[in-house]
Amino acid sequence: MNGNATTASPSLFERGMLMLREKGDLELYANVFVIGWAVIFTLWQGVGFAVTLGTVFCIWAILSVSLNLVVGYTGLLSVGHIGFFGIGAYGMAILTSDTSYELLRTESIPQFGLPFFAALPICVLAAGVAAVVVGVVFNRFRDDIYVLVSFGFAIIAFNVFLSWRALTRGAYGIPDVQRPQIGSWVADGEIEFLALCVVFLLIVVGISWFLVSSSFGRVLKAIREDEQVAQVFGYQTTYYKLAIWVISAMMAGLAGGLLGSFTTFVDPNSFILLESMLLVSIVILGGLASIRGSLLGALAFVLLEEGMRFITYLPSEFIGQVRQVVLGVMLVLLMLFRPQGLAGRYKL
Amino acid sequence: MVNRRYFPIAVVAVLAVVAVAGFGCDTDGGGDDEPFRIGVMESLTGPGETYGTVSNQAKQLAVDEINAAGGIDGRMIELIVEDSKCGAQDAITAYNKLTDVDGVKIILGTSCSGAMLGAAPLAEEDGVILFSGLATNPDIATAGDYIFRTSMSDAQLGVDTGNLLWADGIRNLATITESTDYAEGVRRTSVAQFEQRGGSIVAEERYASDVTDFRTQLTKLINANPDAIHLAAQSEFAGGTIVKQLRELGYDGPIYTEVVPIGATALEIAGDAATGVKAVTADLDPANNKAKEVLQSFREKYDYVTLAWYLGSAYDDVYITAECLKQTGDDQDADGFRDCLYDITWSGAIGNNYSFDEQGEVVGLSNVVVEVLPTGERTEDNQGYSVLGPAPLE
Repeated sequence: MNGNATTASPSLFERGMLMLREKGDLELYANVFVIGWAVIFTLWQGVGFAVTLGTVFCIWAILSVSLNLVVGYTGLLSVGHIGFFGIGAYGMAILTSDTSYELLRTESIPQFGLPFFAALPICVLAAGVAAVVVGVVFNRFRDDIYVLVSFGFAIIAFNVFLSWRALTRGAYGIPDVQRPQIGSWVADGEIEFLALCVVFLLIVVGISWFLVSSSFGRVLKAIREDEQVAQVFGYQTTYYKLAIWVISAMMAGLAGGLLGSFTTFVDPNSFILLESMLLVSIVILGGLASIRGSLLGALAFVLLEEGMRFITYLPSEFIGQVRQVVLGVMLVLLMLFRPQGLAGRYKL
Repeated sequence: MVNRRYFPIAVVAVLAVVAVAGFGCDTDGGGDDEPFRIGVMESLTGPGETYGTVSNQAKQLAVDEINAAGGIDGRMIELIVEDSKCGAQDAITAYNKLTDVDGVKIILGTSCSGAMLGAAPLAEEDGVILFSGLATNPDIATAGDYIFRTSMSDAQLGVDTGNLLWADGIRNLATITESTDYAEGVRRTSVAQFEQRGGSIVAEERYASDVTDFRTQLTKLINANPDAIHLAAQSEFAGGTIVKQLRELGYDGPIYTEVVPIGATALEIAGDAATGVKAVTADLDPANNKAKEVLQSFREKYDYVTLAWYLGSAYDDVYITAECLKQTGDDQDADGFRDCLYDITWSGAIGNNYSFDEQGEVVGLSNVVVEVLPTGERTEDNQGYSVLGPAPLE
């Protein structure tokens, strides 16, 4: 009798799970399910809202993937990435803004009037140049000290945005940042802008995938595991670290350029240290050393944060704070039960 | 033991719980007995949290009063509150949630200028009203036809200061200004208005934000023998120190300034030297009975009062909204609401007989003039100064 029980054929659910495992990674199917659910959820709420969230997701996904190259694959815990994001956004604002309001402006910020597609490469390059300057200094540090100096960079960047009024208009910010335009076609609609962001996200993911799959990527992982061993094998680790740092910063500059054009207004409040911490949280939440994890992390974060808007029956006096507390608790729970992140392969 | 490989599925389950609430959202409305649905975007978290929270509470207070009194022709007002976090990106997502999911056409807020300027282009394109009681960035003036505010532009401060100087009989003025955007803006607009009235600038000095000794520059100003000295500062430390050093150098003439040099830190640094300093700032007129009532009601409901003028502004916005809804009878009629705002003349907590110009800017309001009290009379309640009354309009 007992023998019959133990040899009974597995249930339909068990067979399904077995089949999924045999056919591949269960996490992949779960992730696909999450993404599918996300699309249905946001579309159900409203197409316009879904498109906005899609755009925000793309921008933060580019940022997240770029930071993962540094933190996850190379093992350099940088909390200053928001600085490059800001350089890209301010680059887009300064190069394309056509603001003419002069009453309170004490210095005339230079007006270039460039179109979006001319300004975007400059934003990327500006972030890259800044990264070279910063990276040469940062390469002297490791581990805890690296975190501290990158923290310092985030603070410096914020204060430059706030204080270099001749260029950034300080706390007043820069309005009228231009949307993408090709000929007479202007991507002023939200769907067109989302499509553009998706294209850039795919490019960034493609480049990142190529990098981490190549011998270059294997050296980065070797640096993460033991930099001295990599040096013993003859690799100039300083150059590898600088290279990935600059590439990552340029991707962040791209995300910043997109953000500036998306919001059409740029001010220092978007680049405070808290945003940098959220970005690191997204990377860890998604999973270190996993591009798929970064995408999933950005998606989960945007959905969790924006999904909180749909928690009803909260007193309006506390609605904002309660949502933030719930978000914080969920992040803590995620880290408790899944310290390597949703799709991570490496723990800090 | 739960297999950790199933964890992503658990995440889905959590998200699904959120979704259930979302799927249940009611976006219908508009019937004769349905409430008027009004969106609210405020900085409930983030850098502008204090302003956003006070503004949100003042709006809720006003809505509770209106609903308790029977609503608008029997229809209640329902506020749908979203957090715009003082940033353009969050303002855009909050805006799209309110308009696309909740279907509102009238949004009260935001309390932060950055959030306002982020959402304003969308509101203008969609024909949705954005009506703020707190945002002061001058760029909002040109943000569009559907963008209104009862908060005064930073530019208004300079106009009021120029008028006050002239009304007080000042004809020759010396200025000292911190080299920041805000302070330079205050100086520029104050001087422009003062000169337009017929006044002259006899000396002017500027200082960097990290300077602590101003005696050389102040001596130059005093030697120019002005009728008064105008101080525009962004740092309370510098503002208080300048007032103190002016008196130490023997200057006993009038000093005019704005809100920063009469802050708690500045007054502590300046001590008795600050007594008699006049400042132009946004504050409620103590002679306005409606303002007193609102402050009392707010204190009874929330057990504290802060940012009194902004609180009053947010409160007035709700009553103006109620009046316009009474006229249009439809919370989806943004064009009718806009026309109502252009036509309306209102008296409330922040002033009497104010209206909106063709840019949606409030007109007919002014800042108030305050005078710093002697140190022995300064308390937490009076914040160290007494309100003399509204700044002169001419």
